[in-house]
Amino acid sequence: MLGDVSRNLVELVRRHHALDAPTALDVLKEAVELRGEVTDADRREAAARSGLPEAAVHGVSTFYDDLLQPRGARHVRVCTGTACFAATGDAHVDALRSAFGVGLGERSSDGSVSLAETVCLGFCHSSPAVRDGDTIDAGPDVVARVLADACVAAAEPAWESTLAEPVLTRPGDWSGLARVLDDGVAPEALLEDVKAAEIRGRGGAGFPAGVKWGFARASEGDEKFIVANGDEGDPGSYIDKYLMERTPERLLEGMALAGYAVGASHGFVLVRSEYPLSKPALEEAAAAARAEGWLGDDVRGSGFAFDVTVVEGAGSYVVGEETALLACLQGLRGTVSARPPFPAQSGLHGMPTVVNNVETLCNVPFVATRGADAYRALSPDAETAGSKLVCFNERFARPGVYEVPFGVSMRWLCEELAGGLRDGRTIKAVQIGGPLGGILPAARLDTAFDFDALAAEGCMLGHGGILAFDDRTSMRDVARHLLRFGAHESCGKCFPCRIGLQRAHAMFAGEAPVEQARLEQLLETLELGSLCAHGGGMPAPIRSLLKWFPDELGLA
Amino acid sequence: MTTTCGYCGVGCRLETHVRDGRIASITPAMDGPANEGHTCLKGRFAHQFSRNRERLTTPLIRDARGADPRPATWDEAIERIVAELTRIRSAHGPDAIAGLASSRATNEDCYAMARLMRAAIGTNNIDNCSRVCHSPTSFALRKALGLSGATGSFSDFDHADATILIGANPTEGHPVVGARIKQATLRGMKLVTIDPRRIELADYGVLHLAPRPGSNAAVMLGIAHVLERDGFVNQAFVDERTEGFEALHALLPSYTPEAVSEIAGVPAEGIEEAARIYGEAADACISWGLGVTEHKYGSEVAQLICDVALMTGKIGRPGSALLPLRGQNNVQGSSDMGALPDTYTAYRSVEDEEVARSFEAAWGVPLSRRKGYTIPQMFDAAVAGDLKAMYIFGEDVAQTDPDTAHVVHALESLDFLVCQDIFETETTRYADVILPASSFLEKEGTFTNAERRVQLVAPAIEPPGEARTDFEIIKVVSRALGHELPWATPSDAMDEIAALTPDWAGISYERLGRRGLQWPVAPDGTDAPILYAESFELPGGRAHFAALPYKAPGDAADDEFPLILVTGRRLQHYNAGTMTRRTGNVELMDADVLEIHPDDAARLWISDGDRISVRSRVGRIELPAQVTERIEPGHVFTTFHFPATRTNLLVGASADVNTSCPEYKVVAVDVRPIGEQPAKVPALA
Amino acid sequence: MTRVAVDGIDVEVADGATVLDAARAAGRWVPTLCFDERQAPFGACRVCLVGVEGAPAPLPACTTPCRDGMTIATEDPAGRRVAAAVVELVLSELPEPPAAHTELAQVADALGVGEPRWPGATHAPQPADTRHPYLAFRHELCISCGRCVRACDELQGTFALTATGRGFGANVAAGLDEGFRASACVSCGACADTCPTDAITEVSLLP
Repeated sequence: MLGDVSRNLVELVRRHHALDAPTALDVLKEAVELRGEVTDADRREAAARSGLPEAAVHGVSTFYDDLLQPRGARHVRVCTGTACFAATGDAHVDALRSAFGVGLGERSSDGSVSLAETVCLGFCHSSPAVRDGDTIDAGPDVVARVLADACVAAAEPAWESTLAEPVLTRPGDWSGLARVLDDGVAPEALLEDVKAAEIRGRGGAGFPAGVKWGFARASEGDEKFIVANGDEGDPGSYIDKYLMERTPERLLEGMALAGYAVGASHGFVLVRSEYPLSKPALEEAAAAARAEGWLGDDVRGSGFAFDVTVVEGAGSYVVGEETALLACLQGLRGTVSARPPFPAQSGLHGMPTVVNNVETLCNVPFVATRGADAYRALSPDAETAGSKLVCFNERFARPGVYEVPFGVSMRWLCEELAGGLRDGRTIKAVQIGGPLGGILPAARLDTAFDFDALAAEGCMLGHGGILAFDDRTSMRDVARHLLRFGAHESCGKCFPCRIGLQRAHAMFAGEAPVEQARLEQLLETLELGSLCAHGGGMPAPIRSLLKWFPDELGLA
Repeated sequence: MTTTCGYCGVGCRLETHVRDGRIASITPAMDGPANEGHTCLKGRFAHQFSRNRERLTTPLIRDARGADPRPATWDEAIERIVAELTRIRSAHGPDAIAGLASSRATNEDCYAMARLMRAAIGTNNIDNCSRVCHSPTSFALRKALGLSGATGSFSDFDHADATILIGANPTEGHPVVGARIKQATLRGMKLVTIDPRRIELADYGVLHLAPRPGSNAAVMLGIAHVLERDGFVNQAFVDERTEGFEALHALLPSYTPEAVSEIAGVPAEGIEEAARIYGEAADACISWGLGVTEHKYGSEVAQLICDVALMTGKIGRPGSALLPLRGQNNVQGSSDMGALPDTYTAYRSVEDEEVARSFEAAWGVPLSRRKGYTIPQMFDAAVAGDLKAMYIFGEDVAQTDPDTAHVVHALESLDFLVCQDIFETETTRYADVILPASSFLEKEGTFTNAERRVQLVAPAIEPPGEARTDFEIIKVVSRALGHELPWATPSDAMDEIAALTPDWAGISYERLGRRGLQWPVAPDGTDAPILYAESFELPGGRAHFAALPYKAPGDAADDEFPLILVTGRRLQHYNAGTMTRRTGNVELMDADVLEIHPDDAARLWISDGDRISVRSRVGRIELPAQVTERIEPGHVFTTFHFPATRTNLLVGASADVNTSCPEYKVVAVDVRPIGEQPAKVPALA
Repeated sequence: MTRVAVDGIDVEVADGATVLDAARAAGRWVPTLCFDERQAPFGACRVCLVGVEGAPAPLPACTTPCRDGMTIATEDPAGRRVAAAVVELVLSELPEPPAAHTELAQVADALGVGEPRWPGATHAPQPADTRHPYLAFRHELCISCGRCVRACDELQGTFALTATGRGFGANVAAGLDEGFRASACVSCGACADTCPTDAITEVSLLP
C-alpha cells in the first residue's frame, strides 16, 4: 500500500485532490515564503484547506528542510554537497557561519539574516555555491560576494555532445509526438518500440523504461499518471537541471509520449526546490506547448489528451526515491513505501503511475522519431542503448554537461573530455553516480563507463555525475562527509538506515579509530536490511574506501 | 479473563487484567467477533467506577420519605421487601406490583427477574428500557420480517457497496462500529448519512441529508418513490417473497422528491441521489438508531425502512442487511428474555396458550394471560393509584425517562419502591429499600449484542463489600417470596431458557465459547449470522410491506418555542453517566452542553460557553452553550449524561403510537441567555 | 490458493498472502517489531528477514508476497544475523533497556540480543506526558515503528497521531504535538495496545 505512514491518508488526499484542494505541503510552503517560518496556525490552516488531518500536517511540517529552517529577512543557503566539499573542504561553510554569527539552520535574534545548509544547488561546475535569497552565486570568491551583499547569478555550465549528431543536448521540437499522432501509431506500437529500444532508467536504478510502462498499461485504474522525477538531489549532479531549464519542451514531449503509450492523460514533474529556475522554465514551456496545441484536451485533433502540472519539492533528498516522491507529490511526508505494490500498479492517489527520471523521458522523443534501432546504435561499443549525459565537478579543467556514448573509458572521460584536473592537481579518486556510488581510485580509471563494467568495480553508473577528489582530500573526511549526508537525509522509516547511518557517521565523526569488524557488520546490516537504496546504497562508497584507501580511514 | 463489555450494544470482547482484586487494565480481545481487536474508551478504560468509593456496599433502608437511607443487613432488607410486596399483593392483587429489568444486566438476570415477576408475584408487569429506545424497531421487524433482531451482522458493512445510515451517530454511540463503517467508506463503500446534525461520518460519506426532526417517514417514502420510479424494484423478489406491495405502491406517487423536500427540508436532488446510490448498489445495508425510533411514528419509519429493503430485495445475504444499532449492552437480550409486559422469551405472546402452558409446566405455577403495563403505563398507573409497588433494577428512570416531573410524581405515589443498583441514583432517592448489586465486571452470564450474538460474561473481580450479583439477589428475593429459582449458576438458567425457547435451543455455555452464537441457534448448535436467506419468519414465509403515510411529529416549533431540541449521546459518557462519570472520562467531558448553530446563537445573543436557559412545554433547564456548524439552524442538541442538567425535564409525553417509545428527538424549546425574561413554567424544585 | 513450503512444512495460503502469513500458518516464528496483524504490513523494522530459495539476499517476510512453489527458510543465517543487528541498533537508541513485558524485550531475548554495543546518541529522556487521564506518552522510548499511527488510521480512523522528524530524530506525536487530550484522539487505546515498547502506555501502568 502506498502512502506515507498509513494508507487511508492517501485516500483522503485523493478525495480532496478531486475537489482541487491544495496539498498540505503547498500551504505550508506558502507560509514559509510569506512569514519565514511555520506556526501552529499555519498547520491548522493547511489542514483545513487540504483536508489532511492536523496531526499528519504536523508530521509533514517536521520532515522537509524548507519548512524546518527559519528564514530571516535575508535567507542565505550554503551548499554542503560533495562537489563543494571537494572544492573547499567545507571552509566556505565555516566562513559564512562565523561571519554571520549564526549557526546552520538558525536565524539571527533580530531576524535580519538566517543561514541554512542546502544540498545541492546544481552549480557543482563552479563550487562552492551559495544561494542568497533566490540568487545562486558560485565560484572561489563567492563568500566574499555574499558578505559584501553583492551576489550575482553564477554562469550556467558548458554543455556539448560528443556524438556525431547530438540527441540530448539539442532543443526538443515535438517531432516525436507529431509523428506518432500524425502517422496514427497505436499506443501499443509505441510501447513496443520503447521496449525494443531498451531505454534503461537514467536515474540510477537502470530499470528498463518500456517494461515499467508495460506494467502501468496493464494495470487497472480509473486514471493513470506519468511522473517525471526532477528531484536530482545527488550532490555533484546537475544533468536534470540542465534538461529542465534548457530543453524543457523535450521533457514535456517525453511525458506526453509516455502518457500516450500507457493511457495516462496527466503528468506531474516534481522539481526540487533547490533549483528555483526549473519550475518557471517548465511552466513557460508548458504554456507555449498548450498554445501550440502540443498539450491539452485534444492534441493535434487526435483525441489524445495530456497536460502537465509542475510541483516543487521542499528539501529532502530521499524524495528522489519513487515511492517517497509520490508521497511528496501528495503533500505527505516523503518516506519510502515497501514494494510491492509498485507505483506502476498503485502509485499516485493509488492509481497506476509511471515514475521516470527526467533524463530517461528526454530519451523518448528520439525513439519516437527515429526508432529503436537508431537509438540502440547510439552506443556501438556497449551493451546499453542510447546516449548518456555526464557532468563533472569544479575540480576538472572543463567541467560541464557532456553527451557521451556508453562504453567509453572513465579515463577518456576524465582526462580527455574534461581535461583532467586544473591547477596541476591529480585525480585521487572519482565518485560516480552520486553519494551512494562507489569510489573509483585513479588506478582503475580504465574501467568502461557502463552499468555492468562499473558494477564489477563496486561502482555504479547512477545518474552520471562524475566527481573527482584531488590529492588534498582526506578519504576519512570523505567517509565522514558522505555518512553525515546519508544520516541527515534518511527518511527515518526503516530501522537499519535511521539508526545505522547515525552510528556509521559517529564512527567517523570524531578522531577515534574505526573498528573495522563493527563497521563491516554495520555495512552488511545496511545493505541487506534497508528498505530502499538510500540505506542500502550508502555502504558502497565506504566499501570502496575500505578497499582502496584503508590507510587513510583511521582503522583500529 | 475474557468477558464481554457492559457498555453498548456492539459487544466488544475484552480481556480483563486483575491485580490485588482490582482491575489493573482492560484490553480488547483480538478474536472478538464484533470488535476484532479494537474497542473504545469506555470498554478499554472506563472501569474505575467498579471500585469507586460511592459504590453501594450494603443494603439500605429508608425508614421515612425524605429521610436518608440507613445501612441494613440483607436479612432485614429482604424481610422488608417480602413483607411489603406480600401485603400489597393481598390487598390490591399482583398487578399492583411492577418490575423493571435492567437492559445492562445479563440474559440470565433478566430471565430470572421475569420469572420472579410472573411466577413469584403473579403479574406480567415487567418491562425494560428498550421501551425508550428500540421498541419501535422490535415492533417493525417483527411485523415486517418476523424476528426482532438485526437481519445480519456488523461484517455486512464490510461487504456492502452502499449503506444508508439514518438517525444514528456511531462514531460517538457505537465507536467500534463507527470505526468499521468509516474504514469501509475509505475503501469505497458509499455512505449516505441522514441526520439533522452533520455527524462525523458525513465527512466520509458521499451524501448527507439533514431533514427536519420528525420527517424521517417522508424521507424514506421519497426514497421508495424514486426507487420504484427508476426501476430499482426487484419484482421477482417482491412477487415470490413478500405480500402487501400493492398498498405501498398506491401510496408512493404522492411522495415525489419535491413533495418530500417541502416536508423534510432537504433538497429534492438529495432524495434522488440517496435512492440512486442505494438502488444501484449490488449490496446495501440500512442502519439506524434512536434518531429513527424515539419519535411519535418511529415504529412506522422502521417499517418503511423495511419496505425499502424489501422492494429492492436487499436482504438476506452478505452486504445486504438491516442493522439497527441497539444501544445498551444487553437491550437485545433483555427483550429476548421476555422482560416485557406482553411476551415470554423470543417474543411469544403471554396470551398464547401453548407457550404459557409450557412455562407453567416448567415453573410449576399458574401464569397470568393478561398483558402487563409498559413503563409509561406503570408511571400513569402509579399516579392514578393503581400501581402500588415497583422493583427496579439497574435503571435510573428519574434521570433517563421523559417528563421527569411526571416520573418523580409516579415514584413518590408508590407505596413501596425497591431499587437494586450499583450506585445511588436520582431514582434511588425515592426508594424504600436499596439493594447493592454488581457491575458487568463482577458477574457471570451472557449479553446479546446488536448482531443477535449471545456472548459470555465472566467475572474479573468480586462485588465490593456486601454487594452481591444481581443473579444471586433475584434468587434470594424470589425464594423469600415463595418461588424457588432452581439454578445453582447462570449457566443452569441458560439451559432452562434453551429448553423452553426453540430459537435458543442450541445455546449452552460450552457452545458459546469465545465467539458466542447468533440466535436462532438450532439444536445442533448451528447459529444464524444471516436471517431470511430463504424465507421470512411469518406465516407463509413472506415478508409484509406496510403502507404508512407521513404524519407530523408530536411536537412542533411555534412562536413561543421556536427551536427543535434533539437529545442524544456523546462519545465519552454512557447514557445517565452512572458508570462513566465515576471514571477518568469526566476529565474528557465534564458537562452536558447545548449545541446551537451560529445563526441561531447570533440572533439570540448567545456566545460559545454562555450559560443559557432551555424551556419546553413541560420544563426548564440551564446549561452552557456550544456554538457549532455541525447542527442545522433551527435545531439544538444536548445530552443527558449529568444528573445536574435534568435534560429530561424538557421531554413531554409524546411517544410512539405503537410502542410508547418517547419522542426524545422532537421537543420544541425556547432558548435564551440567562438573565432574560424569567421562565413561565416553574422548574422542578 | 498458493502453495509454499516453510521450513519444510507445506502450507496453502490465500492468493496475495505474504511470506509472513505463510510462516504463521505453518506455525513457524518470525521475529517482527513493526507488524500488527490488524494493520497492513509496513516494512519498517526489517527484522522479519527470511531466506527464500532463489533470492540473492534475505527478504522481508511481511511485505513479500508468496508465489506458488516458494521455499522459505525462517532461520536463514544472514536474515537472523541482520535481524539481531537491527534489534541491537534499536536497543542502542533507547535511554534504558526495554521493560521485560514489552514486545521489544521479548524479541531481543528470542534473538539472543543482549546489551547493545553501540555508544553514542540516544533519545533524551523527558518527563512522561500524562496530560490525558488514560494515555501516557514517553517519547524517548519510541522506536518509530509506526504501529500507533497506523492503528489510529487503519483501525480507529481518527488520524490523531503522526510520525515526526526525519532520520535519527524521528518520533511520533499526537495532533500538533499537543498531547492526546488536545488532539483529535478519541481515547480508544489502540495505540497503547499495539506499541511494542512503552512509548505509549496506560497512565495507570506507569512505573
